Amino acid sequence: MQADRVRHAVAPALGSGLLFLFLVAGSLLYAATGDAAANSLVTQMLINAVVVLGIQIYIGNTGVLSFGHIGFGAIAGYAFAICAISPERKLRQIPNAPFGLAEVDFTPLQSGLIAVTLTVIVAFLIGLALSRSGARSGAVAAVVITLALLFVVHEVARNWIDLTRGGKTGLSFSPLGNATLQGKLPIYLILLGAIGLARLFKETRAGRLAQAAREDDLAARVMGIDPAVQQMIALLLSVVVVSAGSALRVFELGSINPRLFFFDYTLLTLTMLIVGGRNSVVGALTGVLIITVGSELTRNLSEVDIQGMNWLLRDGLTDIFLGGAMLGFMILRPAGLLGDWELDHWSLRRLRRTEPPPVPPPSADGDKTPTTVLKVTNVTVHFGGYQALADAGLEAASGEIVGLIGPNGAGKTTLLNVITGLVESDNGQTALGGVILTGVSPHVIARSGLARTFQNFRLFSALSVRENIGVVRLVAKHFRRDRPLPPVGALMAQAGLWEQRDRRASELDYGNARRLELARAAAAGPEFLLLDEPTSGMSDSESRAMIDQVRSMAKLIGAGVVVIDHDLNFITGICDRVYVLDQGRVIAVGTPAEIAANPAVQTAYLGTAE
Amino acid sequence: MLDIESLVTRYGTITAVRDVGLTVRAGEVVCLIGPNGAGKTTLLATVAGLLRPSAGRVTLDDADVTGWAPDRMLRAGLALVPEHRRIFSDFTVRENLLVGGITQPASRRHELLDEMVSLFPILKERLSAPAGYLSGGEAQQLAIGRALMSDPAVLLMDEPSLGLAPVLVDQVFDLIGRLREGGRTLFVVEQNAKRMLAVADRAYVMRSGEIVADGPAAQLAASEDLFETYLGQSGGTA
Amino acid sequence: MIELIQQIIDGLGRGGIYALLALGIAVIFGVMHLINFAHGELITVSAYTSYWLFASGLNWWFIAPTVIVVAVLTAVIIEFVAFRWVRGAPDFTMLMTSFGVHFLVQALFVMYVSANFRQFPRPGWIFDTWRIGGLSLEVFDLAVIVATLVTLLGTYWLLQRTMFGVSLRAAAEDFDTARLMGIRSNRVIRGAFVLSGVLAGVAAVFWLMRSGQAGPTAGLNPMLKGVLAALIGGLGSLSGAVLGGITLGLVEVLLISRLPGGTAGLTDGIVFLLIALLFVFRPQGLITVRRVERV
Repeated sequence: MQADRVRHAVAPALGSGLLFLFLVAGSLLYAATGDAAANSLVTQMLINAVVVLGIQIYIGNTGVLSFGHIGFGAIAGYAFAICAISPERKLRQIPNAPFGLAEVDFTPLQSGLIAVTLTVIVAFLIGLALSRSGARSGAVAAVVITLALLFVVHEVARNWIDLTRGGKTGLSFSPLGNATLQGKLPIYLILLGAIGLARLFKETRAGRLAQAAREDDLAARVMGIDPAVQQMIALLLSVVVVSAGSALRVFELGSINPRLFFFDYTLLTLTMLIVGGRNSVVGALTGVLIITVGSELTRNLSEVDIQGMNWLLRDGLTDIFLGGAMLGFMILRPAGLLGDWELDHWSLRRLRRTEPPPVPPPSADGDKTPTTVLKVTNVTVHFGGYQALADAGLEAASGEIVGLIGPNGAGKTTLLNVITGLVESDNGQTALGGVILTGVSPHVIARSGLARTFQNFRLFSALSVRENIGVVRLVAKHFRRDRPLPPVGALMAQAGLWEQRDRRASELDYGNARRLELARAAAAGPEFLLLDEPTSGMSDSESRAMIDQVRSMAKLIGAGVVVIDHDLNFITGICDRVYVLDQGRVIAVGTPAEIAANPAVQTAYLGTAE
Repeated sequence: MLDIESLVTRYGTITAVRDVGLTVRAGEVVCLIGPNGAGKTTLLATVAGLLRPSAGRVTLDDADVTGWAPDRMLRAGLALVPEHRRIFSDFTVRENLLVGGITQPASRRHELLDEMVSLFPILKERLSAPAGYLSGGEAQQLAIGRALMSDPAVLLMDEPSLGLAPVLVDQVFDLIGRLREGGRTLFVVEQNAKRMLAVADRAYVMRSGEIVADGPAAQLAASEDLFETYLGQSGGTA
Repeated sequence: MIELIQQIIDGLGRGGIYALLALGIAVIFGVMHLINFAHGELITVSAYTSYWLFASGLNWWFIAPTVIVVAVLTAVIIEFVAFRWVRGAPDFTMLMTSFGVHFLVQALFVMYVSANFRQFPRPGWIFDTWRIGGLSLEVFDLAVIVATLVTLLGTYWLLQRTMFGVSLRAAAEDFDTARLMGIRSNRVIRGAFVLSGVLAGVAAVFWLMRSGQAGPTAGLNPMLKGVLAALIGGLGSLSGAVLGGITLGLVEVLLISRLPGGTAGLTDGIVFLLIALLFVFRPQGLITVRRVERV
């Protein structure tokens, strides 16, 4: 528990503070040695850092590609300018502004708060639209919706002349168009807030659930996560930061026009995010630094005059640098320089060395947990003209281990998909302890007490073993409170994954990945574990060991088991009862011995000679 | 004709095929049986070039074709009828067959098309129908015909009877029998072991990524403990 | 009534160009699941080519075919330099790569040519109108409609009747199986880019005849229109892309004529908004390509 708090709160908070100090100290030093231009460069960089961190909160945690964040920035920027510009100047620039906006007079702080609130309301509506479209990592619909936001805001800003003064001149704070932000304190405060928020959000419940859904949307849903909720939280927080940064940007520049928050700025901020590593806060800041320095260097280079090099060193080199950086990183290093590494991960190494191995908790007491029955009846499924299941069903009681076997194409996995809500059946019903789960979405079924594994792994591949289990346990702590929920360490130890605890799921070998699937499902605190081919691809000795592993895991959490497998040794060794499926029908039920002796089963597997 | 030596295929950290060796001689029908997840499909996909082997050698007619891309494999004389048939359902039957013969010169392609039509009379009536409307059995014939359009030296088949009704399964095995009589060299992965063994010359049994038994098909079919070997109950070899 | 017919013809003239652009985008999406946000760069390059050729004293009869060749070359080069290396990468990477190409090409033009738009003469006949009954038909619209029809028929013939077309469609339906049939990945993907280049080239000729200018961002608007039309049509579907383009053209013309004065500048925004709404409620586009996710 103590270690958990260090891992998820103390270390990230300290790391963020350190990061902030580095950034501020570095920029102060640079600004002190340089002239006014250097000073303004530093200011711009720090403001860009806020905006990029805001975008990181959304894209980094959810994996959904948004081109619309700068559109949110535009809304915030205009709201801020319209509130904060003095009435006297507004009456000159936009005398016909609707709702008497030309006369209102707010302090910059008030204006900033209004801008953030307004933008968050818009973001909420966009968030609803995104979740309706089923946004997930790489989703095209999300790209279209967010691009539309960017464009619509731009068009409105250009055309609603009464409010925005249109595209040519824009709104400005002072007649000279000078910077109006006096002193850097507001920037520092907002930057500190942005770093802390972005870093700590990664460790919050919502952040971790969003990352799981980013890695595998489907697996997240069958583990009880509703990605739409987490994505909404991430979006709102991210928009708070982006709008604060955008208001700062407008205030610092002293003016706003539609081009200020459009494609160019989108390119700049996205490139900054991608170069350093979009899944990491320190990565995002590194990207800001690299791109700022790079842009500045190329800008200076384009002014030098070297014989024979003038074809290269000329105006526009900066844009080439940006486009090239984006393209180059996508082709050569799509995860960015730092991947998902954070500054505080350093300190955790010590924590890891001193971490004591977990004490195995007592197994759940069979007498305490009442007997629940999983009853699946009359399931029929057609895929096009192909009948995958015909009137199939099964029944299992808690404490029992039930096998489901049958030849390739018999419909075993389809039956599991129907039970977990991934495939809709033509008719039939699933009931768990009398509660009917048919027609319910996968994440609700998972929260009701069914957890499954997948035949072809669906682990959260960029997350560590610990995180894979931990994130599912977070869900269970919320929805499965009445169940025995062993700590993450105990689950890892039980699955024989203690030594691998900080490795990424994608780095595990076959057997360990299978055991992680099992431990992750167990972490959901289910009434029943549904296992799809837990031994497939394992050697004979590994699959023999799996018998004990599944048994003790089920005992640890007091769950019943339904297991699909093809290895008859395993099935015989572990099951109390076995169902045999062939061509979508249950052709036999019985003890493993009865099944092995049943001629119909042999025929189903080996076919008939003629 | 087709020789596979110590072949290893990995997906990331997963080893799906471990040190597999087998041989298919010209004019032979060889089958590979084994349970779900044994690595049979992975093995075929590696031989056909869809996956790259991590180690081992594949030779065809003494030419080393290890790691070649599928289109090169096909030109070398190796065609695969994939699992689940994978016919182009937006295409007509005729177009499906023509795609199969894409590596052939135009005149030869049309000759082969005529040959396929006489080999599979069912397809003749359906030539300009969309392939998506074919029944499972017809689609399987089309998939085989499409692969034969490249006039391959060795035809690989992945689970040809999968998902077919019993009467259609009969048709598929009849067809394999006919191809065998026509002197084709076949290497078939199949789950219906008894039926397959009845039409094959030799067989290999694969489990957990390894070959656990092999021998003449008739001998394996007669073996008492085939069921156990197959499902790994005793872990023994035949 | 006459007004409506007139608008439909206008809409078809607009929509035809969009359909050509959308079809090119759909062809590429079909073979490599990439939404080509760099498709507009073919128009940008074509625009500068036209400008330079005009400056050298050539006329549209020479420029039109040259533009098509240049668009094809550009498409092939972009594939070779960028898209080849991200084949099969996650969607996020491919999306950002195509945006990267878009920005990079734009930056190259800013750097080596100019950030400003350059004008070149438009052919005189595009302003001609024919009066038939109460209708006044712009010759230009008719030319676009005819050229679009011819190009689409040619493409249809190519896709249906040639072995190249068959292999392209096979690769679009099931890439791995197409490779098993002996279709070479590099060749079929390059072919898809060539075809998309031809379609973009034809679209570019008409687009440029109407706009008469070249600038680094000349391709942005056509690219967005093409992508939106392809999205309306469901991305993978070729006939969907054509329908999507024509729908988009008609909607735009009808919107422009019906929007109250002063808001006409918002047409693009409103169209974008409508499409975003379409995606909120039908994320797969109007024409759904069914894909079953295997678990």
